[in-house]
Amino acid sequence: MSFTMYFLLPNRSYAGDGTRSTLGQSVENHFAFAVYMYGEYPPFNEYNVGNIEWTRDMEGDVFNLGGDPPDVEDLELTPITIEELGERMRDADFIIPYGLPKAAAPPPDTCG
Amino acid sequence: MSDEKMKILHVYRSEPTDDVKKLVEILNRDRDAKEFSLYMGDPNYDILVQMIREADKTVSWW
Amino acid sequence: MSADPNKLGIFVTSPQHMRHVLGVTQAAVRVGMKAAVFFTFKAVHLAKTPEFVKLANLCDIKDLSICAASYQCEGYDVEDVPKGITGKQMATQAYHGVLLEECGKYLVL
Repeated sequence: MSFTMYFLLPNRSYAGDGTRSTLGQSVENHFAFAVYMYGEYPPFNEYNVGNIEWTRDMEGDVFNLGGDPPDVEDLELTPITIEELGERMRDADFIIPYGLPKAAAPPPDTCG
Repeated sequence: MSDEKMKILHVYRSEPTDDVKKLVEILNRDRDAKEFSLYMGDPNYDILVQMIREADKTVSWW
Repeated sequence: MSADPNKLGIFVTSPQHMRHVLGVTQAAVRVGMKAAVFFTFKAVHLAKTPEFVKLANLCDIKDLSICAASYQCEGYDVEDVPKGITGKQMATQAYHGVLLEECGKYLVL
């Protein structure tokens, strides 16, 4: 049985692992979608971009809710509004608010 | 299809933001919706589990 | 296999809700439900807390796992198995899939 699920990712520290977790369910033959919220992106390194592409190959997708499109070659996230996301999630089997909510302030330089 | 409304439960781990409230509003349309807050005081987990058992779907927001 | 309505799956993705993980699991067991719990990413740090052993005592062995890759990403050696579980309970994201399919009720913490 295939489920439809949305991983909601509003915190940069959890966006990369949330993408991995999304892919984890894609390869289990579920329809899995990741949603980067508010421009809280993971590092778009080869690993994370590869996970995004693999998720899409498995009939999932990775959305951008409210963030400026990332300036990464050959990477286009699918834009989505809060209303569109809500309507899509009405049909979801699972909604997964992942990790932590968005932090109130940007990270200090000490985060590297 | 059954005429019975889907029972949806929203669990809040922190105070919901305006966007969470908007998503909840959309998800609740034409459904029988309930809420449970985990972030205020000492939650009664027995009540929460009972509500989860009664719900068709549970969404636990950050 | 259809999902068991008397089984609660808990997907733990936040490192700050061990109190709720244990409280909900204890309440589920009190009413005769089974609980299956999977810790991923930074939530694997919770496996190092005293409450984790209490949780392990409430779950069948096959119903409690942590993500082994996350555990290593967070700096632990995979041989350093948390108290309360065995090496067989160091799992992959596939365990989350099992939880979704087996559990009729589902909660993210």
